[in-house]
This record gives sequence, C-alpha cells and structure tokens, in this order.
Amino acid sequence: MTAQGDPRPLAIVCLLPETLGGNGDAANARVLVQRARWAGMPADIIPVRTRADLPPQVDAVIVGSGTDADLVPVRDTLLTVADDLRTWATAGIPILAVGTGLELLSWGIELPGGSVVEGLGLVAGRAVPRLARATGDLVVTSRYGRLVGFENHARDFVGAEGSPLGRVAFGVGNGAGLEGVVMGNVIGTHLHGPVLAKNPGLADHLLRAIFAARGAEYAPAGRATEVDGIAKAARNQIAVRLGLAPE
Amino acid sequence: MRYAPAILIGRIVRMLARWRKPGGGSAVPGLVVNKIAPGFLARTLNGFPEGLVIVTGSSGKSTITKMLVAVLRAHGKTVFTNPSTANISQGLTSALLEQASLTGHVDGDIAVLEMDEGHGAYIAGSLTPRVVTLTNVMVDQIDRFHDSEMVQAMLAKIAARATEAVVLNADDQYLQDLAGGVPSPVRVDRFGVTAEVLEANPRGLGYAQTAADRLPRGEGILVTRVSGRQADISLPEGDYTVGLPARGTHYAVDAVTALSAARAALGEAFRPDLAVAAVSTIPAVFGRGEVVSVRGRQVEFVLVQNPASFQLNVDSIEPGTDQILIAIGSDVRDPSYFWPVTTSGLGRVLIASGSKAHEIALQLAYDDVEVDRVEPDLGRALDDFLALPEPAVGLKTIIFSADGMRRTRAHLGLATNSEEQA
Ligand SMILES: [Zn+2]
Repeated sequence: MTAQGDPRPLAIVCLLPETLGGNGDAANARVLVQRARWAGMPADIIPVRTRADLPPQVDAVIVGSGTDADLVPVRDTLLTVADDLRTWATAGIPILAVGTGLELLSWGIELPGGSVVEGLGLVAGRAVPRLARATGDLVVTSRYGRLVGFENHARDFVGAEGSPLGRVAFGVGNGAGLEGVVMGNVIGTHLHGPVLAKNPGLADHLLRAIFAARGAEYAPAGRATEVDGIAKAARNQIAVRLGLAPE
Repeated sequence: MRYAPAILIGRIVRMLARWRKPGGGSAVPGLVVNKIAPGFLARTLNGFPEGLVIVTGSSGKSTITKMLVAVLRAHGKTVFTNPSTANISQGLTSALLEQASLTGHVDGDIAVLEMDEGHGAYIAGSLTPRVVTLTNVMVDQIDRFHDSEMVQAMLAKIAARATEAVVLNADDQYLQDLAGGVPSPVRVDRFGVTAEVLEANPRGLGYAQTAADRLPRGEGILVTRVSGRQADISLPEGDYTVGLPARGTHYAVDAVTALSAARAALGEAFRPDLAVAAVSTIPAVFGRGEVVSVRGRQVEFVLVQNPASFQLNVDSIEPGTDQILIAIGSDVRDPSYFWPVTTSGLGRVLIASGSKAHEIALQLAYDDVEVDRVEPDLGRALDDFLALPEPAVGLKTIIFSADGMRRTRAHLGLATNSEEQA
C-alpha cells in the first residue's frame, strides 16, 4: 500500500489547543501535519476541546503545556478522554505530551502546599516541586538524535527512571540527569514549543509509526530535508552557545 | 525644604552621569535620591492638585499615555508625565528631578504615569491615584509572570489604590473579574469594542481571555467601526470619528482607553470634541506604523513585542507585500512562544535575520511562507534588502523584535525616533 492508499486524511488530534498551547506546544500538531503532507499523505489538525470533538479515528495526539491555574480544570477535561487515551496508547498511536501535559498524564502532581492533583496514570512517574523554576535551554542525548529546546517548569519528574526519553547534556530535564519518559509510542518531555520542528529525528520516528499503522512507509520529502537544514542550524547555534560540539 | 539635600545630590549625580556618558545614566540619579529620600517619589506624585492617573496593563501603555496627555493638555491642563523609557521607580525619580524645585515641588495640574505592572505593584503601595486605567492582559504577560493569578494579583494591587475610578477594558475577562473587587465608592468605567468589530478580527484582539459579552452602547466608550487609520466611536455624549496613529483595531482600542481615562480624570470638564481632536493628532511612532525614508527608500518598520502584537501586525500588513525582512534578536529568549502566531499571511519573506534567524525561518517554513534567504548578520541583511529595487506591491517592510529594532537603528544611523523625543 502506498502513502495514497487510504484516502482518509491523517487525523492529528491537538487536545485543548488554547489552554495547552501558550508555549507553542500545540504547533507540534502542525509540524506532523505538514511533514505528512510533504510526504504525500493528506493530514488534518483536529482541535479537541471536548470529547464530542474527537474524530472517528485518531492517528496521533498532542497534549501541550498550560498554566498552573488551569491544572485542575484541564485535568478534569482530560479525564473525559482518559479511556480513549489508554486505548490509543495500547494500540501504539503516537501521543506527545509536553510540560504540564506530561505531568497530567502521569500519576499526579504534588503542589508546594502538599496537596496533589491526581493525574490520568497513563505514564509512569509523578511531578514534585523543585526549589527553583527550571527555565532555559535543554539539550538531551536520545536515540532519536540530540534533542535541543527550551524548558520552563516548576517541578521535577520522578519515578520514570526506567524509560526516559534521554540523558540531559545541558539543562535540568526531569531533575536527576534524565529527561522525559517513553512508553511505547507515548512520549513525554519538558522540551516545550515546537520540539518536533527543531528535532525532526523525533518527528520522523512518530511519523514512521503513524504511516505504518496505515500500511504505508514514511520517507521524509525533499521539502522536509530543506527545512531540516534550517532546524539543524538552529540546534547547532544553541549547542555552540552552550559550549557543546555542533552536530 | 526636607528634600532639598537629596534633590541637590541627585542633580549633581545626574550631571556627573551625563558628563561620563552623554545622554546616558538616566536611572542613576533616581537611585541615589531614592536611597537618601525614599519618600520623595510618592510625595511628589501624590501632590499634584488634580491628582495622579496611572496607566498599566500588558500592551498599549505608551500610546495610551501619549493620547491621554494630549487630551488633558487640549483641556488646558499642565501635565507631568514620565518618558516611556523610564517606567521604573529610579527612572521616574530622575524624570521628576528634572522638573523639581529645591523644595521638591513639580509644576503641573495633574500627573499621568505609565507603569509596568511588575514595577507598579512594587511602588503602587505608596501612591494614591485618582484614576487607575487597566489596558488588557495578554498571554505573554502571563508567561512572563508564570501564571494568570499572579498577573491579576499585581493589577488588582494597583487598582486597589484608586480613590475615584478604575477604568478598564470590558472585553478582557481578567480585568472584568477584577472589577468585582473594586470597593465602593470607587467607580468602574468601562470601554470596549462592539460585536461587529470583534467579528472583524477572527483571531480576537490578543487578550489572554476574551469576555463572553460586549459592552452595550451607551455604557462607557465603544469602538463601533475601524477602517484603515480611522475609527468610529460611541461615547455617552454622542458618536465621533477618531484618527489613529496606524492601521489596526488595537490602536482604536488604545484611543477609547485614553478617552475613557480622560473622561474619568476630567469629570464635568471633559469635552468629547476637544478630546477626539487631540487623540487624532498623535503621530505614528517608529516601529508602530511610521514610514521612514532610508537610503532613498520608503520603509515601514513593524515592531513585534509579543505573540499578540506579532499576529495583529501580520494580519494588518497589506496582502501581497513582496519585500519583507524579518529580524528576531536575542531579546526573544525562547522563540517557541511565537509559534501560536499564524504567519502564513506573509506569503513570502525575502530575508530572515537576527540572532534567532533560523528559529523564525523554521516557523515561517512550517506556515508555508517562502523564505528566500536566512542571513543571521543583520547589517548585511539590511544592506542587501535596502539595495533591492522598489517593491511591486506594498512598502519595503521590516518586522523586528526590540533587539532587532535597536540594531537596525544603529546600523542605519536612525539615532532617535519620535517616541523617545516625545
Ligand atoms: Zn551596512
């Protein structure tokens, strides 16, 4: 079957794009859609604000980061799709969760006063308060290549040491030398903003899974290769500024 | 005479600072005076016969302050105001020192203060403004202070100092929520746009949270229509047309903000015809709609300070404009916060430049904007861009962040701009 084999466009779901999109995390849905289109596969962003917005079939899910003031209402909305998320995760449908998105998919979030916001329990680990907010560049060595981006979070992430996304080369990440969590095709990270644009190695890992579920094979298009040159220059500029070797 | 020694010392320090670095050192004398006479700032600002008006919020502060001052002056008032570059307490003290007599007296009927909400919450506790004007709460401000409750708390702290009126944007839900906490007899005056004006801006007006309902006509001051550099507005006194410093609904909202603040400050003396005429005289400023002649070319400079202003500016650039340079500099620490902006309306960008050139080029590429060249060296980018023949459509347009603006002005020898001279 070719990329054009299934005429139904890919449905890239973006959960709560307004409340979970302030840092630009929601843009990761746009990155997957554009790279799929460039590779000849029609694809759409499906913004999901309530469970009623869910399309009949889902090909990937983006859960971005929001403000702490919204933690509980956002968690309550996510609870309405918790069963769906579990089904997708089990079926190997890629889910990318960033920042508070990751924290809410975990066991839960401990707040400074000692109270806890229970998470959805989809991935291992929980968020615990840090002494000082972690804000700055974050560089991670991972099996998808060197991941470069920005982190801005008030909590560490513990209990996911068994299956991290990678090892921290610069920055804080989960807080003890490791960053993120990977469970099947569910990926959680503190790398906020358009992590998939800046790190196409990670994007293409997800796209291979998305295409494979359609019986198609993903190969980056020429346009993607061009754009990835810009991304590489951006990553190298940051790496060099941080005293790391360029790729 | 209690402040005379402090004022004298402040003046000497100022002289020394200028002697070391012409035009520089503006905050230092204020720092010195604040140390040796900490009450000087508050006592002076609270001492104007017709009181103090504060303008604060996420965006529009400088334009609104300028408009408000023009309206008050048109009504014959002598106004003390802070230069927009000096909205911190040291800079403010320095500005007051410029005009203070040795007894600490500053001439003027009324004071208008543009206040950064962060610094504002810090010094507001000692001030007793008659009127506090709240412009809006934008998402980036929430990012800057990490969460919306903190932003609300800071603005509430400033608003709580008002003795007569809090003037606020009725379309901004965060500000509407805050209105409930204003204690009587302090009045809440509102301004806003009509449903039609909001509908004409499908991406909204950039507020972190837009209120569900619009202000009814007759209650407060409303923008009823925006067309190019003109807006129709509705006041309780009648309908008027006001000239704007540049295209865009946000300038129309700035105008009604200033008019509402002036109306609250002037009370019975407020004359809408005078006020509207005064607002209409505010010129465009560099980076905000002003067209400048550089090396024989007409160039429009567009400053983007946050995602909201980025979106509004992208949306108001003439469609098909075929010569665009975009320069994002090191002041934008993490360019990912620009990604909620849809840049596809730009169509084609000739050069992406600045220290974040690759980052912005990446975003443009994912928005299907053609980027002909990525040139981090801004000087070279500017030289090549200005050397191109006249564009076929639109003006040569340079979009920059604040750092890109500083470097552009330095490179092109645009030493001053109308905003700083004002
Ligand atoms: Zn040059």
